[in-house]
Amino acid sequence: MQPEDIIAAVNAVFVEQFEIDPADLLPEKEIFRDLGLDSLDIVDMMVGLQRTFGISLRQNEELRQIVTLGDLHAFFLKLVEENPDLAAKLQKK
Amino acid sequence: MPKTRVVITGAGVISSLAHNRQDLLAALLNRACGVRAMPEWADTLPPDTVAAPVTLDQDAVMKIDRRFRRSMGPAALFATLAAAQAVAESGLSEDILGSGRAGCAVSSTMGSASSIMESCSLLLQGRQDYISAQQFFKSAAHTAAFNVANAMGLRGVQLSPCSACASSLQAIGVAYEQILLGRQDVMLAGGSDEVTPSVTLTFQQLFAQAENKENRPPDQISRPFDVARTGLVCGEGAGIVVLESLEHAVSRGARILAEVTGYATMSSGEHISQSDQRAIGRCMTAALADADLRPEDVDLVSAHATGTRQGDAEEAAALRDLFGANTPVSSLKGHLGHTLAASGAIELVAVLEMLAQNIIVGTKNLTAAGPDCAGLDHVQANRPASIGTFVKNSFAFGGVSAVLVGKAFA
Repeated sequence: MQPEDIIAAVNAVFVEQFEIDPADLLPEKEIFRDLGLDSLDIVDMMVGLQRTFGISLRQNEELRQIVTLGDLHAFFLKLVEENPDLAAKLQKK
Repeated sequence: MPKTRVVITGAGVISSLAHNRQDLLAALLNRACGVRAMPEWADTLPPDTVAAPVTLDQDAVMKIDRRFRRSMGPAALFATLAAAQAVAESGLSEDILGSGRAGCAVSSTMGSASSIMESCSLLLQGRQDYISAQQFFKSAAHTAAFNVANAMGLRGVQLSPCSACASSLQAIGVAYEQILLGRQDVMLAGGSDEVTPSVTLTFQQLFAQAENKENRPPDQISRPFDVARTGLVCGEGAGIVVLESLEHAVSRGARILAEVTGYATMSSGEHISQSDQRAIGRCMTAALADADLRPEDVDLVSAHATGTRQGDAEEAAALRDLFGANTPVSSLKGHLGHTLAASGAIELVAVLEMLAQNIIVGTKNLTAAGPDCAGLDHVQANRPASIGTFVKNSFAFGGVSAVLVGKAFA
């Protein structure tokens, strides 16, 4: 699994659930301010990412510190690097 | 002090037959029927089960801003689309909608039954982590009310009287009272409901769903007042009207569709499911008294008549006592099925168009009135008529009756 596949999997949640134009999904965009998500959307972002990556994220403290889409990409790139079985799960989907 | 006059200045509808008032009346006059076979329910219900579902226009749905749409299950979507029609027709400005003097009363039987089923299914699979943040907002009993309020930018009162199949008429009644009390100038009012296997099963279990042992085509199964009626057919949709004080409507030059002149709602105090002619009679009498009218003043009764054996007989008996054979009586449930909490509002919206076009839609599939439903002026074929005053009935499980009285505006 290449890094761009992981980024694409994260971005797909924003396109499918929040109807955001893929062209707007730039790493520097802030998830609340620029992409327009609110507190309820953040819960659904987490639900969508849980479904995509097959893991529970609700108690993850690191995820709560994320501000930009790039932060989120970095979080999952690191997560997959540390847990190679996640990449296998993702490939199966 | 003279009673505040309350008028209707807009009316929208989503139904199995049409998605606006004029098309709905055209379909009703053409004897169209929204009832069809439900192969998509074959896993859960008997294969001959029928219902009258809505097919939504997805382009119209996607026009609702995601910010509002995300919290809408079908019940709230139907209500919001109907409310948008009513608001557009009424010409209410954003300033009026957001003034705090405009509110809503919008009901459904139990919120979104399909969204509740979705949540239960995930819980039973042990997938709590897949439940969306929106699931509560789609499911909640008042989902239709708050979704309409937010999508329309209303800042006044928000109500959602919940009384199963009398819900939307109660919503219109309580909205009427808000304006009478001087608490609001404008109210969006009505109701919405979804047809699901669980709702249909409820009626099947109680032997209230039509049985169709005669193997009739779907469009002939719902037979209000008919001698061969065997029960109701569930449907879905939404109806919303804009109620407004006459003074407010006139001050902004709004076109007036009709006037609401009386309303009553009450309990039977007898039984949770058996209809009761005395309770129905008391409620109609009280609504007519509220309108300061006598039975002979009424030009049309838009009956609740769902096609059940017992319910239709009790309503017919109450109508016979009050009106004899002198007042035209019509039910729309042969065309639309029983749209549950939405039925009172959808049927009121249809009556408004009957008023405008001077015609009464005949009760579909009423070939010969049952002996227990006889002695009324049943409108079987469509009948040209100038409708001055009308009565709209809704009755519900729980022993609830609601009756609204209205008239052509003059």
